[in-house]
Amino acid sequence: MSESMETVFADATQAVGDAIIELEDVDKYFGSFQALKGIDMKVGRREVVVVIGPSGGGKSTLIRCINRLEKHDKGHVVVDGIELSDDVRNIQEIRRETGMVFQSFNLFPHLSVIDNVTLAPRLVRRMPKNEADDLGMQMLERVKIPEQARKYPGQLSGGQQQRVAIARALAMQPKVMLFDEPTSALDPEMIKEVLEVMVELAQGGMTMIVVSHEMGFARAVADRVVFMADGQIVEVGTPEHFFTNPREDRTKLFLSQIL
Amino acid sequence: MTTQQAGARPPLWRDVRILSWVFQLVVFAVVAAVVYWLINNYRMNTASSGIPTNFEFLTGPSSFGIPGSDFDQNQPVHSAFVIGVLNTLRISVVGVILATALGILIGIGRLSTNWVVNKVSAIYVEVIRNLPLLVIVVFTFLGVVFQVLPRIENAWKPLELLVVSNRGIGVPWYQGNSGGMLLLLAMFGAFGWWLIARWRRIVSERTGEPPRSGFIGAAFLILTLVIGWFIFGFGVTLPEVDGRQIVGGIRIDPSYFAVLISLVIYTASHIAEIVRGSIQAVPRGQGEAASALALGPFQRMWNVVLPQAMRIAIPPLGNQYLNLIKNSSLGAGFAYFELTAVTQITVGNGSPAVPAFALALAFYVVISLVTSALVNVANRRFALVER
Amino acid sequence: MTTATDPRRTLRHRDVALIWARHNLFRSRLDALLTLVLGAIGLYLTFRFLRFVFINARWEIIGVNLKLLLVGRWPVAHLLRIAVSITVLAFWGGIFVGLIRARQVRRGFADLDLIGWQRIGDLSRRFGLLIATMLLVLALATTVGPWLVALGLFIAVLLGRMVGFKLGSVPLSTPLVRLSTLVLVITPFVVFLYLVDAVPFAEWEGFLFNVTAAGAGIILCFPLGILLALGRRSKLPLLRSLSVAYIEFVRGAPLYVLLLMANVSLEFFVPPWIAPSKPLRAVVTFTLFTAAYVAEIVRGGLQSVPHGQEEAAKALGLSPYRQITRIVLPQALRNVIPAQIGQFISLFKDTTLAGLALGILDLLTAGQAVTQQDAYRGQGLIIESLLFVAFLFWVGSFTMSRESQRLERKLGVGVR
Repeated sequence: MSESMETVFADATQAVGDAIIELEDVDKYFGSFQALKGIDMKVGRREVVVVIGPSGGGKSTLIRCINRLEKHDKGHVVVDGIELSDDVRNIQEIRRETGMVFQSFNLFPHLSVIDNVTLAPRLVRRMPKNEADDLGMQMLERVKIPEQARKYPGQLSGGQQQRVAIARALAMQPKVMLFDEPTSALDPEMIKEVLEVMVELAQGGMTMIVVSHEMGFARAVADRVVFMADGQIVEVGTPEHFFTNPREDRTKLFLSQIL
Repeated sequence: MTTQQAGARPPLWRDVRILSWVFQLVVFAVVAAVVYWLINNYRMNTASSGIPTNFEFLTGPSSFGIPGSDFDQNQPVHSAFVIGVLNTLRISVVGVILATALGILIGIGRLSTNWVVNKVSAIYVEVIRNLPLLVIVVFTFLGVVFQVLPRIENAWKPLELLVVSNRGIGVPWYQGNSGGMLLLLAMFGAFGWWLIARWRRIVSERTGEPPRSGFIGAAFLILTLVIGWFIFGFGVTLPEVDGRQIVGGIRIDPSYFAVLISLVIYTASHIAEIVRGSIQAVPRGQGEAASALALGPFQRMWNVVLPQAMRIAIPPLGNQYLNLIKNSSLGAGFAYFELTAVTQITVGNGSPAVPAFALALAFYVVISLVTSALVNVANRRFALVER
Repeated sequence: MTTATDPRRTLRHRDVALIWARHNLFRSRLDALLTLVLGAIGLYLTFRFLRFVFINARWEIIGVNLKLLLVGRWPVAHLLRIAVSITVLAFWGGIFVGLIRARQVRRGFADLDLIGWQRIGDLSRRFGLLIATMLLVLALATTVGPWLVALGLFIAVLLGRMVGFKLGSVPLSTPLVRLSTLVLVITPFVVFLYLVDAVPFAEWEGFLFNVTAAGAGIILCFPLGILLALGRRSKLPLLRSLSVAYIEFVRGAPLYVLLLMANVSLEFFVPPWIAPSKPLRAVVTFTLFTAAYVAEIVRGGLQSVPHGQEEAAKALGLSPYRQITRIVLPQALRNVIPAQIGQFISLFKDTTLAGLALGILDLLTAGQAVTQQDAYRGQGLIIESLLFVAFLFWVGSFTMSRESQRLERKLGVGVR
């Protein structure tokens, strides 16, 4: 490994607080195409990691492997001490501890907003309805749309729907929140309201892995920025280091194209 | 359309509004002319044949009997029509229920990860869907009923409970008045099931544990029936062969059997495709979101996928039910006395053809419109709420 | 402890098979039970069926009666006309195939990368079933005639395709285009007249009747169907109500009842000097019936054309007639080709109802009738006969259905 790669390795494995997510030598294939190549990464408690990179670089695949929406072909994925394997119990436990927010929201259109938020707590954590409703309203207040509780997803704007999706994931009280390009499908005027919620979450101490193109968000709250391309982690660093003094040429090329 | 116009009014023969009305009237006139010509021909032709073309035939004696019921040749024709409609409904309702059950099973089977279940379902659908319904009915009627099923003298008697022959299938049935009591018990059990479902829902919301109202409710129903059986001691009649008849129990007519089975098999294959298509039409992200929330596979299907799939499926499902009702008319070719059969026979006995068939068609159209309306109501009630 | 196998490590075939079996057949206890039970039943039924078809069945009832089943009591002297007609129609169909292919190449849709053996493989997958069926039926034939006809068919289709491809690839002068379009449209009618000249339509029977009645029904119903669709969408209340009334009434009526009615009362509605034959009554009923369904399909197609198309045509000053015939309708019809094919398949299967309702000796009725012949009565040969009949209908329906799906994918459109 070259000198810069060692630094990269050290940076990636160094974490704020003890590690809550560990990826070790993870590979993922789609047929003969290799989407993830030997990924090593550790994410510590209360840490906010933003993953950036060109499309097709493996960013979404990476976080989808963490909650088993994609199955990794080689290597280890450990979440809060639980190893992600074919064991159904492990998978379910990891899914309870991780929350995911999708690019296309994926709210359940046949349920009201409050029912969307309380469905999983009631069915999975066996919460009584009253308790679940209180929790749900708390979450909706946290994302600043408690008045929409009785409405249906089809009646809300994109920004409101995404905030409901965040509330839905938070209602399971996860230890880690995974964001897969949460603002990419939103009109520009609605991106702000969603980012504000995410910033508040980060400042409140939630462990977050965010795949995003929003550099302003990264600069504001990220503890580390990870740059991925062609299925590999190319460079890792603090936002200041990253945006002012990137090391790798590939990183410089990417940043020059988007900034 | 405005009555005030900017600028001068155009001459009549260029005015767009007048032209469109003229066009309509011309079309209407053409259609009216064609209709008039048809009716005129009809009048002329029937005048020379001597059969009155009105609805008086309905009150005359029927001159035919319907085997398997009390209807005899002296009763008026309109009673026969009533029996015909009832028979159509009888086979349609049972057919719809059975076809839906079978169709859902096979539709889900098509999506199964089990290779055997998947392939068997696929073969069933691809074979049946591409056959004409009439071929299936002929095959069931001539091939199965009259080739495979034994003659009455050699009837099969599985478990000493049933009598299976090509003159009908005898099934044990309750005796005399027990029917009423059984019905009462069943209704009581169903009511209890409903109460249990409500109680369990309240408990579940309070404590969070799963309601399981299906299991408990069903257990209650069965328990009620069994206890009632012991207390009231129902009589049951078993079917037996007596000469060339089946006495006791209840006899399933071979025509009814053949037509029903064919309708169910055929319609189920279409329903299976609808079920499969509607489950696949639910966006993948929905299932993923449910998985990400740690819902198990059954919870995912029951709470997220199926409710949405059902909404997509309602219109095409309603269409299939309509088709089944219309296809029941095939019974006329196989000695099942539903509406079409009755119409055909009475016309053969001298009733005027056009009024008789018009009446039958009117029934079918009415049943069709009613079913469409029900489907629309169901569709609107379950529609996703949007802005 | 690794959690997954590295796909780059080579696996023995046995491992692959075991993993597949565990995943697809025995994933859970219920799964395993289903596999065993259904598998056992399926294997048993397949065994019984194959044994019947290849060993126990007496197929000579089909072989001897092949002509009766396919063309009814068509005079032997005129069988040649049928052979000629089929060949001409095969050539004609081949031209269309060639034209479509030429259009695909022109527009860049064609899979030009399928060449040589790959293309043959693709074609055999698509038409293998059809060819195998024809060979099976030919195997039952007792004379050499059918074989020659089949050969002629094959050659005619290939020739037609070559001609069609040439026709579609070379830019032609307008009069030549008009002439060739005219010839293409007229051909089926000329063939029909050629056959009717020998044997009146009233006497057309067998599978020939099923195919012709379906074809005639779908072709003749189109003008009425399009008119009804346009009428239904019209803003003029009278037109709209008339169209809706017709469509809803016909769609609520069972086809079988309409056929029964046509059997006994069609003659009342026409002047006495027209005595409609049974096949004619059937075709008239099919036409009037299918028009309502085609109307709904076309209506869906009209709705699928973006509103802006009509507006652009209006803005350009086209008359309403031109707007519809030149801009809206072509797009609408193209969008619903798969649904139209579906309707044709439906009609094709429903032609069997005419046999029962009107007493026409179509394929299904003939299939039942041959079991009543002196040589075969009372021997339970109805199963062989019905299997053959079912098979013919099934192959036709399945092939058309599959080609339609393929067309849908190729066109990239699909308005249902």
